[in-house]
Amino acid sequence: MAEKSQPSANYSTWPVILALSIVSAPLVLMYAYLFIDTITDTAAGSLIPDSFTLRHWRFLWETPAGKPNIWLVTLNTLIFATSVTTVIVLVSSMAGYVLSRLNVPGRGFFLAGVMVLHAFPSVTLIIAIFIVLQMIGLYNSLIGVILVKAAIDLPLGIWLMKGFYDTVPWEIEMAGVVDGASRFRVWRSLVLPQVRPGIMAVGLFSFLTAWSEFILPQVLAPGSKVQVLSVYLSALIADDNNFDFGTFKAVGVFYIIPVLIVYALFHKYLMNIYGGGSKG
Amino acid sequence: MNILPTLKCMTVAAAILASTSVLAFAKDITISVWSGGTGPNDTYRLDAIEIAAQQLEREAAIRGEDLKIKVEKTPYSDWESFKQALTLAAEAKKAPNIVATGHEDIGPWSQAGLIVPIEDYVDLDSWPLNDIYENLMEIASFNGVVYGIPQDAESRPMFFWKPHMKAIGYSDADLDALPQKVQDGAYSMANVLEDAKKMQDKGLVQPGYGFYPRTSNGPDYWQFYTSFGGTMEEDGKLVFDKAAMTRAYQFFADAVKDGVTKKNHIGMPGDQWWKEVATGKAGIWHGGTWHYARLVNQEGLTDFFGNVVFSLMPAGEGGKANTLTHPLVYLLTAGHEKEDMAIAAQLIKIASEPRINVLHAVKSAHLGISKAESEIDLYSSDRWAREATERLLPYANAMPNNADFGTYWTIMWKGLEASWTGAKTVEASIGDVETELKSTLGDKIIIR
Amino acid sequence: MNTSRMLGLVMIAPAAIMILLFFLMPVVLTGVFSMTNMTTATGISGGAYQIAPHSLNDLKSTMPDIAEQMAQPRYAIDEAGMKAVEGLGLDAGIATELRAKHIGDVFQTRREAERMIKGLDQRPSTPDVKKISEQFNRSVVNSRFSSKEELFSALDTLGFKLTDAQKDSVADVTYTGWNWTTENFSRIASSPDMARVLFNTLLYVALVLVLFNTAYAMLLMIWTHYMPSAPATIFRSIWLLPRITPVVIYVLMWKWLAWDTGFISVLMGKFGYPPKNYMLDNAYNAWVFVVLINGFIGASMGMLVFSSALKAIPKSQFFASEVDGASRWQQIRYIILPQMRWPILFVTCYQTLSLLASFNEILLSTRGGPGKATEVWSLAAYHTALNNYAGNLEYGLGAAMALVLVVIGIVLSLGYLRIFNYGTLVSRPLIED
Repeated sequence: MAEKSQPSANYSTWPVILALSIVSAPLVLMYAYLFIDTITDTAAGSLIPDSFTLRHWRFLWETPAGKPNIWLVTLNTLIFATSVTTVIVLVSSMAGYVLSRLNVPGRGFFLAGVMVLHAFPSVTLIIAIFIVLQMIGLYNSLIGVILVKAAIDLPLGIWLMKGFYDTVPWEIEMAGVVDGASRFRVWRSLVLPQVRPGIMAVGLFSFLTAWSEFILPQVLAPGSKVQVLSVYLSALIADDNNFDFGTFKAVGVFYIIPVLIVYALFHKYLMNIYGGGSKG
Repeated sequence: MNILPTLKCMTVAAAILASTSVLAFAKDITISVWSGGTGPNDTYRLDAIEIAAQQLEREAAIRGEDLKIKVEKTPYSDWESFKQALTLAAEAKKAPNIVATGHEDIGPWSQAGLIVPIEDYVDLDSWPLNDIYENLMEIASFNGVVYGIPQDAESRPMFFWKPHMKAIGYSDADLDALPQKVQDGAYSMANVLEDAKKMQDKGLVQPGYGFYPRTSNGPDYWQFYTSFGGTMEEDGKLVFDKAAMTRAYQFFADAVKDGVTKKNHIGMPGDQWWKEVATGKAGIWHGGTWHYARLVNQEGLTDFFGNVVFSLMPAGEGGKANTLTHPLVYLLTAGHEKEDMAIAAQLIKIASEPRINVLHAVKSAHLGISKAESEIDLYSSDRWAREATERLLPYANAMPNNADFGTYWTIMWKGLEASWTGAKTVEASIGDVETELKSTLGDKIIIR
Repeated sequence: MNTSRMLGLVMIAPAAIMILLFFLMPVVLTGVFSMTNMTTATGISGGAYQIAPHSLNDLKSTMPDIAEQMAQPRYAIDEAGMKAVEGLGLDAGIATELRAKHIGDVFQTRREAERMIKGLDQRPSTPDVKKISEQFNRSVVNSRFSSKEELFSALDTLGFKLTDAQKDSVADVTYTGWNWTTENFSRIASSPDMARVLFNTLLYVALVLVLFNTAYAMLLMIWTHYMPSAPATIFRSIWLLPRITPVVIYVLMWKWLAWDTGFISVLMGKFGYPPKNYMLDNAYNAWVFVVLINGFIGASMGMLVFSSALKAIPKSQFFASEVDGASRWQQIRYIILPQMRWPILFVTCYQTLSLLASFNEILLSTRGGPGKATEVWSLAAYHTALNNYAGNLEYGLGAAMALVLVVIGIVLSLGYLRIFNYGTLVSRPLIED
């Protein structure tokens, strides 16, 4: 009880910082080396890099035989992630509004469904999802995976958007309705601007999960014309003919940079969601 | 809503235009071909089809047809994602025209109707198909129907690192005689463990590097079963020989117990395995004829014959020295225009031309598919191709083409992995394998 | 009233359609598939009828004579075949010569028949040879028929007179497609490996959940609470990295850390330990890494949930306790922890489901190895349904395994709805016109 009667400002903080630094060290180490190893060479059996090189980045200007072009893959990933984001934002901002404000038949049921689904182990349905895609002719196409990925993250999006709509004071809408604006116009021009933070959050979140998605494109769109970065990188790692951590990491850094930028710029929006519970 | 009919009109018009242009001018055809397990040494699996396409275009030109063939090549460096992608694509009717894959896929894929017999399209009595080794054609058939054309042949030998063998007392003459000794059954699987142990005890190799087999599931592991007297199929029915499988499992359990093979060997990164066998870190290992290409071309083992002896897989208790050939085959997938299929079949046929196939055989150190191929200079002047063909091919078995073999394989592998890693005892593994085989395959497998 | 309801339906329709298409239909299909023996060999969309040699083997026991007859592969140059050949529109000389020299010949195999055809003076091209030989095919062995009726009519034209019962058994043994069965579930229930996988799954969920998602997350929350806000923000950001890093890169970093040539190996090498693959060295190590890899991802969520719950505690409580001379431990014990009951419950509920379904990380790191030591249920379902070295994917069994998770998922979610008081969540909408 030595600390008795110490004021809060005098709780010493350094042991805590030290402890946290120690447990965080492996993570910091892994990320630091992720970047360092892409531009250096290290002699076997050594931990310290000894020379600078750009050869790990060759993949940017050379396409190895049998591998798709990195820029095509990047473009695919970008199309994939932005499309998924667009679909989720559009669909969930509409559905969330309905669930928050409009009395449609089956509303309670739908809401319960969304609740159940937003934590649902949907990946286990992948075989059946493949069948559905095959039936509608979208197997091995970007559109197909976009729809599937968007659908899987949709319940969470709807749920979050509903939460944001719930916080909008209904006087705003009432005023619009009284003025004679149609319900759609009220939503479009009065309510939607109020939930912009929600749209940002859902959009950013969707973009990041879509950008990272691996198993869906791997199974549902493996073709080289529609390959995305996650599948490209994992195929690179699986190919034991060119085993080189430097190159893997260079591709990894190339792949992770957009994520880090988005995160750095918008992390306050994201904290809400990651704290509110998401898959993973 | 107005745009749809217009759009339809335009598509129809475009289609008509396109079809007339085909009749009037040139015939443009795209043939897609995929291959599994295809690294930098194996690119001729796909390139051969491209060469064949040029040849076929010329032949067509002489007949006065203007034929343009575009070959779309997709190599997969591994097998798992290849088979997953291919089965799903075929199920979705988006399969490539031609696929180069292991012959064991013929069973399930023909039952499913995913592939069509190539004999519907080509004359098997014509050159070069009539020159392909009879047993390879057999392996490319199922139910008496020829489904595919062998793309390559290989076999899986046992390799010994000469310097280490010498260090444990073998003379040069002993080593030269070793392949024959193995073939005669005078050097057995028990000797393999013994010598591996000696190398380790002398400190020539690190613990776990005495015997250094493949690091992942593969046909190789059926070879051990065969070596210990097991049979895979009899009269169209799968066979699980409990005693032989027990001995095969026990071999690996013993290897781990003696410390000559690592307990965690399975699943270690492949690249590392290559580096180690190429530099003499391993004493005795088991691989395939194509390893020669990788060791010499990619891993820098230039003096292969000075450092390595290769032989059949030695006989185990109850079995004979043997090797296994696991030819890849070109298959025609179903669901394409008949005309495209006919052209694809022609391409496969031309690609089997000795002069074309030999490019793959020598570059990737696989074995030739036909007699004439072995007489081509490129092949006959290649020491590896010549010796491997003579020493191994006559004793090669193959896995059966049976729709249920994959199920058997999965269960067998699971049991082997369990007894290898010590997750279960050998007896328990065999018991579990038996239970699972009974419940999954029922009377489709003979258990004895 | 009406327009607003209409609008509501229109606005919710896209969501409803997507959920229907990619959740409900797959759930139903998974249920359906789980009751079949569907594999790559049987196909998904239904099979055909093919009298393959092995089906003849099966027939031999019940109708030996007919099976024997069917097994006769033969090509007969008969009048019916000649008529058909004449109808092919080939050079008339071919048919004439065939009729003159070969009528009445019978060939055992197609190859022999085709050799004869190629021997004709007007040697037909290969495609034509195939066409001609097909006209004389008087055997059903290996032919595929897309329906029962086609099979029976083919048998009929070849002179096989079968009773209805015989027809049924012929159809049965020659069908290449899938059948209904409940065997998948009995296999799951009886297989010793499944029990092992189930155990792995429970162990995995429990370890990650207890050690990281709650305990470690709580530790992070408390540590960052007791430090100035600048370092706290930095540490929170660091611990969010695993969550936002794409899984392929994230696992790659772990591999680099633990592989034979990786960081730990090199580091230990400095102390004289031989290099080894620390991740796959043995089952114990693999488990440590699987738990760490998933735990580091899960810790961030708990950390944020707990931190926001912490913020909800009035600052005055802390000040008051400090004035009373409470130690840090006492603050934690009496002020913080009691407030964490709901957040912990929330994290537990939420993460149980996530962990049950997540297999990306394990697939990419240990692949369930070594020796299936870290194979969990969802990964096993994936392996069964979508991975087979010999090209025969077991859709049916995989679906049955997935269905188990689906059922668990639904039951747990419904349970959670009760816990978190569903009634307040679906309260009536604010505006009603």
